[in-house]
Amino acid sequence: MQRFLDPAVLARISSLDLIAKTVVDGFVAGLHRSPDFGFSQEFAEYRAYSPGDDLRHVDWNVFARTERAYLKRYRGETNSLLTILLDASSSMNYSSHSVSKIDYARFIAASLFYLAIQNQRDAAGLIIFDDEVRSYIRPSTRFGQLHRLLAGLEHAEPRARTDYAKPLNHFQQFLRRRGIAVVLSDFFEPAESVVRTIEPLRFHGNEVVLFHILDPREIEPKLGEPVILIDSETSQRMEVTPEYAHAEYPQKIAAHIEELRTRARSSGIDYFLLRTDRPLDSALAEYLTIRQERN
Amino acid sequence: MGFLAPWFFAGAAALAVPLYLHLLRRHTSTPQPFSSLMFFEPRTQSSIRHRRLRYLLLLALRVALLTLLVFAFADPFINRPAASVTANKLMAIVVDNSFSMRAGSRLADAKRDGLSVLASRAPTERAQVFALGSGLEAMSQPTDDSRALHAAIEAIQPTDSRGNFGELSRGLRSFSNSVSGPIDLHFFSDMQKSDMPANFSDLALPAKVSLTLHPVVTSAVANWAVESVNAPGQVWDVKKARVQAVIAGYETPAATRTASLVVNSKVIATQKVQVPANGRAAVEFNSLNVPYGFSRCAVRIDSDDALPADDISYFAVERSDPQKVLFLHQASDTRSPIYFGDALAASAESAFTMQSVAAGQAASVEPSKYAFVVLSDVTSLPSSFDNDLERYVRGGGGVLIAAGTNIGRASRIPLFGASILNAQYYSNGPGGFLTVGDTDPSHPSIAKADRWSDVKFYYAVKVDDAGSQVAARLTDGTPLLLDKKIGEGRVLLLASGLDNLTNDFPLHPDFVPFVEQTAFYLSGSERPGGSRVVGSYLQLRAAKERAVSVEVVDPAGRRPLSLQEATTAQTYQLNDAGFYELRLADGRQDVVGVNADRRESDLAVMSPDALSLWAGKLNGLNASTSEQAVAGTSASTPQKFSQQSLWWYVMLFVLLTAVVESWVANLHLGVRREE
Repeated sequence: MQRFLDPAVLARISSLDLIAKTVVDGFVAGLHRSPDFGFSQEFAEYRAYSPGDDLRHVDWNVFARTERAYLKRYRGETNSLLTILLDASSSMNYSSHSVSKIDYARFIAASLFYLAIQNQRDAAGLIIFDDEVRSYIRPSTRFGQLHRLLAGLEHAEPRARTDYAKPLNHFQQFLRRRGIAVVLSDFFEPAESVVRTIEPLRFHGNEVVLFHILDPREIEPKLGEPVILIDSETSQRMEVTPEYAHAEYPQKIAAHIEELRTRARSSGIDYFLLRTDRPLDSALAEYLTIRQERN
Repeated sequence: MGFLAPWFFAGAAALAVPLYLHLLRRHTSTPQPFSSLMFFEPRTQSSIRHRRLRYLLLLALRVALLTLLVFAFADPFINRPAASVTANKLMAIVVDNSFSMRAGSRLADAKRDGLSVLASRAPTERAQVFALGSGLEAMSQPTDDSRALHAAIEAIQPTDSRGNFGELSRGLRSFSNSVSGPIDLHFFSDMQKSDMPANFSDLALPAKVSLTLHPVVTSAVANWAVESVNAPGQVWDVKKARVQAVIAGYETPAATRTASLVVNSKVIATQKVQVPANGRAAVEFNSLNVPYGFSRCAVRIDSDDALPADDISYFAVERSDPQKVLFLHQASDTRSPIYFGDALAASAESAFTMQSVAAGQAASVEPSKYAFVVLSDVTSLPSSFDNDLERYVRGGGGVLIAAGTNIGRASRIPLFGASILNAQYYSNGPGGFLTVGDTDPSHPSIAKADRWSDVKFYYAVKVDDAGSQVAARLTDGTPLLLDKKIGEGRVLLLASGLDNLTNDFPLHPDFVPFVEQTAFYLSGSERPGGSRVVGSYLQLRAAKERAVSVEVVDPAGRRPLSLQEATTAQTYQLNDAGFYELRLADGRQDVVGVNADRRESDLAVMSPDALSLWAGKLNGLNASTSEQAVAGTSASTPQKFSQQSLWWYVMLFVLLTAVVESWVANLHLGVRREE
């Protein structure tokens, strides 16, 4: 059986349901169906309170007995809440090969939904945004939720520009329970602005994960001659030389990635860079393995 | 340096195309969408400068390619002094040895002048010697060996052929194709006017040939000649033979000449003839008393002029007994023998005597004793004679069958073998008769007749013409005269009678030549006239006689044919005046008298204007040099230049530039492929 699933191969499968099942079954089978994987909030351990932690996570019973504040940490079987925020701006439509960034994001989101609903019985929801919230599917465990989510993903066509403020404010309005918020975007904004906008989610006790989705040519562009590039969101035109694209641009995008990763971690946000030429199951397996080790 | 086609420089305007494409036209690259330009910076100036520098070499190559192409089409050349190409120059010495050069010391003078020109050439200059008679004959190879060239000129002998200056130009044109350098042509001749071709442009020489004419005479010389002789080739009755001759004078005053008829070197008759000034006179000898067999005859005049070779005209005569002809007819038919016999006696100079026999009495007649046999409306023959007649035909004999009304009642034509389809009586139809429609004028029986156009046919037998040649048809398409080959012999079928009842042919003037030619044709004794012209061809054999040896003895007593040629040659060209003895493939002996073309007897020379025109303008020289091209008018030689074209060298550079341009352009295309 093929260990890693090529996104280009998955792109030929029209059904997101089938794609998600293929991906999840693939890497779960490869990991021997470990019971430790999942998004549910099972108690795991106590951790000393540190300033900035959400006071709601303080175990007041322990505080009453010991007069020391401890945070309660969870793992295990209780149902959790997974909300995916999918960036559907125009820049997500870019592709240098057969899989665009929005397609790759759809595959990731579908796989996570499948994992949460089918395997973990968790509630899952979806917010599709660009410069405003275009679609919102409330997290639920009801029958048919997976199909609603997958349908929402399929209708997420890229357009307009990206603005993280509006969707995140919207998300916070609906957020009633702690859960896991996954943001799928190419994050073509200053890293400081991105983290500053997303950071409030973390304060509510949510676990926030940033999936930074980039095309290989966005990291290492290859130009043979001077070309005119058009910004897909702003329609700005710019003549770019191969020398710049091969020398200075990679340094700038690498610095951006590194800054985003650093700022996210310093804010307690998980950050994962996903290239669209990377096998999906490999990417998910890496992410879940890291989560397991962290928990 | 110059250009043969400078107007091609207008093509230099094409240089604007690569300049426009490379420098002036704005670069139009296809914009490419990108997710975000957040980390890009514009670099416009740098990219344009880079692009221009990148294609600068390609632009230079393309401009050079177009420039060289324009240069090549303008056909550049450089003038090189003629002295610099002396190493490749070839001197061609051409001496006229036609019949007219026998006059006086013309040939000796021409050879002497040729030797002096040969002596004046540079020691390293190559030369080649030619003789011009009826064609251009190389007497040596191109060489700088003076002794070999001297011997080649001395070896030139006079001929009896007719000169033709057109052959000189034609030969030089083909010869110049095999010579790389220029040709310096020196022509030594009497410049006879009659040697000019019909079209003056036929004298044009290639541009690389410079012609210098060396006339050995400058004016015409008086000359008498026996222009033509009309004598029979075969004589059966010497009292009836006549010899007529025409004596011509060229540039001559009125004079009385003595014409002699010579038979086998003996003068048998002499006549005085008054020849007007520059005119002609005829003389006739009323008898030709020659012995049996071949006689060598000639008509000779006493002229004492510069060209004695044309004062005699040769011809050969064969004397033999008349041949017998067997005429078979119905016993009741008394008209046919009379008409046919009279026609035979009136023609052919008494070459045949006819024996008339009724068909029923032919049992004891031997056909092989006769020259040919005539069956006039005979339907049945004695069986023994019938068999003998068939063997006679298959062995090479000839039979004429006239199909009258008796044959029309039979189903087949005897001996001829054709089926009779029906007998047609045109006298019963509208008009009462038919005339001859189509005739084959190449058939010997019809050749001398006037297509039988006025002959009325009241009756004809329509036969199946399969396997035979139809020589004449009636207007309704009925075959009238059929020729069929049976074995080695021939059978002619006239689909009507000879009795003046079924047609009026026996009373028609065309009947006599028909009978005469048919007699010669069927007997196989037709002999061409005993006189030919130098240069004509003699047929030695028919194709079926291949591998049978022939023999030719020329006037000098030599046998010019090799053993292989004697068994394969079909024709032989008569090159010398005099008597040729022949033994042909069919076994017959023959003697032919051959005379030079009498146009050579007119010794008038070309006008100076014509000579200048030939030597100057027609070979590319201008008028001022044309006078110098005729020898003796000027001793100084102007500086000459030869144009050497640079076209090939320029095209070589074009090729090299095109290859480099393709390579450089391919490099740029290769970059695009990587994208």
